[in-house]
Amino acid sequence: MTFKELFKKVFFIEILSGLALTLKHSLSPAVTRQYPEKRITPPLGTRALHALTRNESTGEAVCVGCGLCAAMCPSNCISIYTSEGEDHKKIVDRYEVNTLKCLFCALCVEACPYGAVLLTPHFEYSGYSRSEFIYTKDRLLENWDKYMGGAKSREYFDKFWTPKSADFARAESKVAESEGKQ
Amino acid sequence: MDTAILIFKIIIIVSVVLLHVAYVVYFERKVIGHMQARLGPMRVGWHGLLQPIADFIKLFFKEDIIPSSADKPIFFIAPVIGVIAALGSFAVIPLWDGFIIADINIGILFILALSSVGAYSIILAGWASNSKYSFLGGLRSSAQVISYEIAMGLSIVGVIMQSGSARLSDIVNAQAGGPFIFTQFIGFFVFLMSALAETNRVPFDMPEAETELVAGYATEYSGMRFGLFFMAEYAGMFVMSSLAAICFFGGWRGPDFWIFAHVPGIFWFLLKVYAVIFFYFWIRATLPRYRYDQLMSLGWKLFIPLALANIVITALWKLL
Repeated sequence: MTFKELFKKVFFIEILSGLALTLKHSLSPAVTRQYPEKRITPPLGTRALHALTRNESTGEAVCVGCGLCAAMCPSNCISIYTSEGEDHKKIVDRYEVNTLKCLFCALCVEACPYGAVLLTPHFEYSGYSRSEFIYTKDRLLENWDKYMGGAKSREYFDKFWTPKSADFARAESKVAESEGKQ
Repeated sequence: MDTAILIFKIIIIVSVVLLHVAYVVYFERKVIGHMQARLGPMRVGWHGLLQPIADFIKLFFKEDIIPSSADKPIFFIAPVIGVIAALGSFAVIPLWDGFIIADINIGILFILALSSVGAYSIILAGWASNSKYSFLGGLRSSAQVISYEIAMGLSIVGVIMQSGSARLSDIVNAQAGGPFIFTQFIGFFVFLMSALAETNRVPFDMPEAETELVAGYATEYSGMRFGLFFMAEYAGMFVMSSLAAICFFGGWRGPDFWIFAHVPGIFWFLLKVYAVIFFYFWIRATLPRYRYDQLMSLGWKLFIPLALANIVITALWKLL
């Protein structure tokens, strides 16, 4: 044991430096936010309540019912029911998200080729029964009207989740790139 | 008439101590909160000032659960022993010049004896609960208290030698020339660490180690019985802090010059007690819990030899 080590051990230098650190922290301002009084607006791209994109020209949901989001979902919280309409057109009868099961990974948003499903930054929602947390298609479209829509959604998709349908060429080149790497 | 005054004094001390016990919990939560860059209690009252009262109401009205296989008489009496031992120690502590319930000439021994009796409450609670966790907590407490009591008693021997008395008010008066901390710093260090172990505080909180023993001896206790244990622990902290203030910082004596000479003694006494209490919380916010064998080796291999060395040095110094 060298003299320095002995000195350190006898005078508890490490413990003293630990005490100095906690004292320093006690003088620095606390990081706590007093939530209900002081709220922050979560930035765009925060993964919170779900919404379905509304087609601005037709007023209908953009969703085509391909089921990629439901297939991708790790917690299996999306259920889609489709039926055949006239001209063999696929009609989305029900599109339901159980937000109690959702883990907000945004894999559904990533999977969707049309940018039809997305996560809005709105996180303050609550309810008194479980059924209130199962968001139907109409309620998801309502969420879009309330928390997304217009310029906000364009910014959202440009910044975070460019749908593959908007730029197929880029998506293709990305695939080619990743295959080339392998 | 004397009896009436005595009872009045007892009522004052008990109510003041209980109020302090309630608010020291708030103080602890605030101190630790700010040390961890949090705010601590903020909701009940202005800056959470009514939190202790809310806690008390909650504890008081909670269901009192008694395990069916518990040893009931001992189970009932264990927390009461703890509270009596902790509050009883205040009888010999001089708050300021002349204000003391019983100025007995073995005040230090009385406090040490009562703190050992307080350990019985933990051991009995661990035994009577008939639960593994409680029993382990009780066993740990007995081993810990025995090994740290020796170091603590020895660390105070230096003070007794220097002042020539075991009466607490005599010890304070002996420090008129300057507090003993300057000559007894080894004793002070050993005393402070042993006091941490004695009152089961972090980093020596083996008997109640939340992470391994759930809550140790208090696992099976609920409601107000748990509250009594809590009260005993914090009152014990006050006893140990008062003892540190009296033996090493000069009790109610403050600086004897200028405006400070006119400040009442109780102010200096409380200031010193609060400083030691703050140190307790500071340590808690900083250190993790010691391993059990580390705790034992620290007690037997470091603190007891240090305290013995302190006695020898003090004796030699006295001789010269």
